[in-house]
Amino acid sequence: MITFIGGKGGVGKTTCSAAYALKCAKSGEKTLLVSTDPAHSTSDIFSIKISDEITNILPNLDAIEISGAKESKLYMDKVRQSLKNVVSPIIIDQINKQIDAASISPGTEEAALFDKMVEIITERSTDYDKIVFDTAPTGHTLRLLALPELLGAWVETLIAKRKKSIILMSMANHSGNAEKEEIDKDPVLNILKNRFDKIEIAKNIITDSKKLNFIFVTNAEKLTIDETVKAVEILEKHGITVSEIIVNKILPENMTDEFWVSKKEQEQKYLELIKNSFKDKKISLLPLLQEDMKSDSIEIMADKLRE
Amino acid sequence: MSKDLFSKLKKNIKLFVQGATDFDRKSKSLLIKESHNEMDEFLLLCFGDLLGIPFPTSYYSLELLPLIAEDLDGWNNRMSGRLSVWQEKWADYDFDA
Repeated sequence: MITFIGGKGGVGKTTCSAAYALKCAKSGEKTLLVSTDPAHSTSDIFSIKISDEITNILPNLDAIEISGAKESKLYMDKVRQSLKNVVSPIIIDQINKQIDAASISPGTEEAALFDKMVEIITERSTDYDKIVFDTAPTGHTLRLLALPELLGAWVETLIAKRKKSIILMSMANHSGNAEKEEIDKDPVLNILKNRFDKIEIAKNIITDSKKLNFIFVTNAEKLTIDETVKAVEILEKHGITVSEIIVNKILPENMTDEFWVSKKEQEQKYLELIKNSFKDKKISLLPLLQEDMKSDSIEIMADKLRE
Repeated sequence: MSKDLFSKLKKNIKLFVQGATDFDRKSKSLLIKESHNEMDEFLLLCFGDLLGIPFPTSYYSLELLPLIAEDLDGWNNRMSGRLSVWQEKWADYDFDA
């Protein structure tokens, strides 16, 4: 089972992800916590250095931090490596320029991150009962999850074009008859088909509610609720199931200060709004704690989530 | 066996006549041209950002670079050196042949 945890910036996604992963681990599921946020606060929460290799942090709980920048660099180095034995030095020079241009283009890190996430999902889902993804803020995540659809259509067009071109060339060379093996032999087509298969796998997992669900973190505040409602709508339009809403930073009871009393009243109003907006979803509440998020406070949170 | 031989012979005679009389020259050149057009479109979809058209997918076409790098230079010149679409279409009719 794969769980994505998302939400607006600053609502406490990383805290909730850590608490949720810890909750799963405590109830006996072997859990992997994947942090995709470039800020990488997971290390700070557990006070353990987590790297881009899977690290065990607590019994039943492993964690990994992945970064788009690093993954895209690895990918580009791989392309550069395979260039060396193919083409002439002049062309290599030009292509290196092309690679450099790609490394600063907007979609690059996102695409690299997505690739790595798919790799973790496809290669690790047999090792773990649960994989928890701590995602980047809402906008990024929505684009990330829409990527397979966009890419799938693009790769499909590319395959069709390339095939047609090869068939036509083969017809020209064999007096009107296309040779099928020339299509099978083409290395470009093989790479594209590989890519297409991977995208299809990702697409199937993302839209399968038995394999993947989404938990949204929100606060009892107007703007955050509005964004959550919108995001949940978009996700469900893409066929992604949102199973649970976590309301984080709930104020404590019994406050005496006038300012906080009125704040608490407002919060009650917004909690009602949340309950009405997400009638068919599980809603969990997490308290605002006095101290900073450290491993012992995460345990309090995890226990709260278990209730 | 002899049937096999016969069909092979038939094919070779056909190829010889075609080659000697050059009779499918026009259809062949049309096919090649169409194939090149498709390939140009393919390259445009892969590396449109070389011409200043940003594609959200350009990251994924990088891995194709080593394989089609040799075609890329000519394509870039063809695309950026385009003066008139009319001229190009006119040439398709091949009136001087």
